[in-house]
Amino acid sequence: MSQTHSLNPPGTPPGELMMWVLIISELLVFGAGLLAFMGVRLTDPSGFAEAQSHLHRTGAALNTGVLVTSGYLAARALIWRKALARTKARLALIAAAALGIVFLIIEGAEYADKAAQGIAWDTHPFFTFYYLLTGFHAAHVVAGIALLLLVAWRDDPNNIEASAQFWHMVDLVWVLLFPVIYLLG
Amino acid sequence: MTMTTHILTRAWIILVALSLIAAAVSLGLPTRLAAPAILLLALLKARIILSDYLDLKSAPPWQRGFTLTLTLFCLTLLGLYLAA
Repeated sequence: MSQTHSLNPPGTPPGELMMWVLIISELLVFGAGLLAFMGVRLTDPSGFAEAQSHLHRTGAALNTGVLVTSGYLAARALIWRKALARTKARLALIAAAALGIVFLIIEGAEYADKAAQGIAWDTHPFFTFYYLLTGFHAAHVVAGIALLLLVAWRDDPNNIEASAQFWHMVDLVWVLLFPVIYLLG
Repeated sequence: MTMTTHILTRAWIILVALSLIAAAVSLGLPTRLAAPAILLLALLKARIILSDYLDLKSAPPWQRGFTLTLTLFCLTLLGLYLAA
């Protein structure tokens, strides 16, 4: 995206400063949640490991690939829009949003599987954090999909840039959330 | 392919590869041994997203700040994990 940010003074981050305030705020919120998760895990590590064994690592790993691919498409869309390839940009944004929906379907399948096993948010503290953190993240995915589709329609480059930044933030949170919730048993 | 597009495509390929490596490490090693590698891979992925997707490479002081903060965050997570 470098060529799209040439108007930013050297040393300042690309895009609107308020987007960076949002990104930092979201990272702090999710970071606090993950630290709390690891802190509570200290009280019952074996219970957390047992609870974690009910999760679908493969599906979540697949979702990482889905999100980073979606982020790639959102970044490419901005380049295409700046190059006045508006149709390509719109298609990339729609494809990025479609991958967001794929992410939600995979996560929804996991939630459904947990429900079928009788696992709820209050089954164990692990699942309280699991539903809180992944659910809050999923809410951001929903918002991101709406933004991507909105800017595919109203395709001002600044709007695309802001929406892509939001989407990359969703991606960034997931790559930190996934290993802690799914892999560190 | 322009330079920027090339950087983005390379970033995407590396992100997918690192995700596969993380999955392989978590399956192939006892979690206690794999934890440092898993968190290091997460840190690398986060840095690539910030640097290339979010283009923080054009603002080195900001990139250094994010890298330092995320490194400390991952070290804290590792400490909490190993303390259990």
